[in-house]
Amino acid sequence: MRSFRHVRATTVAEACALLAEPGTRARANAGGSDLLGALKDGIYPEPPDLLVDLKTIPGLDAIEADEAGLRVGALARLADIARSEPIRAHWPIFSQAAQAVASPQIRNVATLGGNLCQEVRCWYFRYPAGLGGSIDCLRKGGPRCPAVKGDTRYHAIFEGRGCFAVCPSDTAVALAALDAIVVLEGPGGARRELPVQDVYTPLGTVLEPGELVTAVRVPPPAEEARSAFLKFTVREPIDFAVVSVAASITLRDGVCTDARLVLGAVGPRPYRALEAEARLIGGPIDERAAVEAAEVALAGAKPLRGNAYKVPLARSIVMRAILAALEG
Amino acid sequence: MDEATQIRLTVNGRGHTLAVGPRSADVAPSDTLAHTLRHVMGLTGTKVSCDRGACGMCTVLLDGRAVLSCSLLTVECDGSSVTTVEGLADPETGGLHPLQQAFVDHTAFQCGFCTPGILMSTKALLDENPEPTVGEVQEALAGNHCRCITHYHVLEAVQDAAGRMREAALEPGPTVSESSSNAPERDVATGTR
Repeated sequence: MRSFRHVRATTVAEACALLAEPGTRARANAGGSDLLGALKDGIYPEPPDLLVDLKTIPGLDAIEADEAGLRVGALARLADIARSEPIRAHWPIFSQAAQAVASPQIRNVATLGGNLCQEVRCWYFRYPAGLGGSIDCLRKGGPRCPAVKGDTRYHAIFEGRGCFAVCPSDTAVALAALDAIVVLEGPGGARRELPVQDVYTPLGTVLEPGELVTAVRVPPPAEEARSAFLKFTVREPIDFAVVSVAASITLRDGVCTDARLVLGAVGPRPYRALEAEARLIGGPIDERAAVEAAEVALAGAKPLRGNAYKVPLARSIVMRAILAALEG
Repeated sequence: MDEATQIRLTVNGRGHTLAVGPRSADVAPSDTLAHTLRHVMGLTGTKVSCDRGACGMCTVLLDGRAVLSCSLLTVECDGSSVTTVEGLADPETGGLHPLQQAFVDHTAFQCGFCTPGILMSTKALLDENPEPTVGEVQEALAGNHCRCITHYHVLEAVQDAAGRMREAALEPGPTVSESSSNAPERDVATGTR
């Protein structure tokens, strides 16, 4: 790994100011499980000369739940989110999604902010500099996306534009189904709040230089809401999703009154299947309704040359998630 | 904010103070904990295989939690307590930890390269959950790969070790961990206690 200066931040304002300083190529580090791998592989055209440790900022790992909902600091570790009693009781798919990430050792250090902001897993973007030079793809400011004419088996089937890498975060999928809001703080005390799926763009995130995810807020769950999170992987532990689905369904007197269907690893952001949600609302939820909603959810999919298999796979996981939510 | 000039680590009960700097005995900001353990402290029991957080060989305990030492910066472990596989045996007698003995008795390894990491993940599990189900053992060891396919033997060894450790905990007298934590910490850098 190329060397760098290392600074321990003690406040968010300090960290944002350091990261925004013109002329430095600074990067924030939290758990480090994503960033260190990227630095070892030398994937960045301009590697950082300064790392700002966020773990030394006190209180940024708090998990607080009350009548107003849930507030989780960006430094909360995935293991702590997975085992948090209030999260398991009231926002179970958030706990399940945190538990579905990587391995026990990684969940012990990986943070919520890092899971949301991690780099994509596209193998062209991640191609190591040590194996003949890193690849200057569109996402890194290069001329084109090599995936388009390459191996796209794990790439996008929705909303790809220029870059076809998928958002690898599991927690973002569950959080999108829970209508979660991401709190961003930037230099000079700037602060804004965005729905989780609006943090992502086809080429990265909306984060400005010096801006950090500092917290996630989740509204209180509807009383009759039932939910499920399913993640399909090639191998069970330590794997990124090929497709994941978070479903949250509210039933009153056997009739669906509200629904969230969010697909993960199918596009640059968690993909909300709005038309499929609308199809579910107003009727009873049974196997037929689940199959129909899943058909609608995937109707607009645009697979690339190598990932048409993801369409029927995602359809199946959507259907199963709807039915699993009924059980949940 | 500040930049660390020295790093204090407690490794297997012994205090270490390391300067941050460019010499080979120092810690560079880009050094991983695995590098510091192996190449500065000479604790080569901790293995490095993929060096990308995927294989689990480099697992150590950081303040009691199983973590991947290849994916942590040493400068970010300042003030922490680290346990490596070298810290499992009885510090006085050198006798194997019941967990290690169970792995020997069940032949729960072939080449042994993954064993230190598996032992440390198991230690973290049994410290928190002394009576795990097979499913809980599988979940706790999901981040440790073994290319010799010793998993079935490992599952038996862990269940056996859990039983031995529960029995040892019931026996009267000081346990291994109590006696080691009572020993005064020696600072390696200064040689003082």
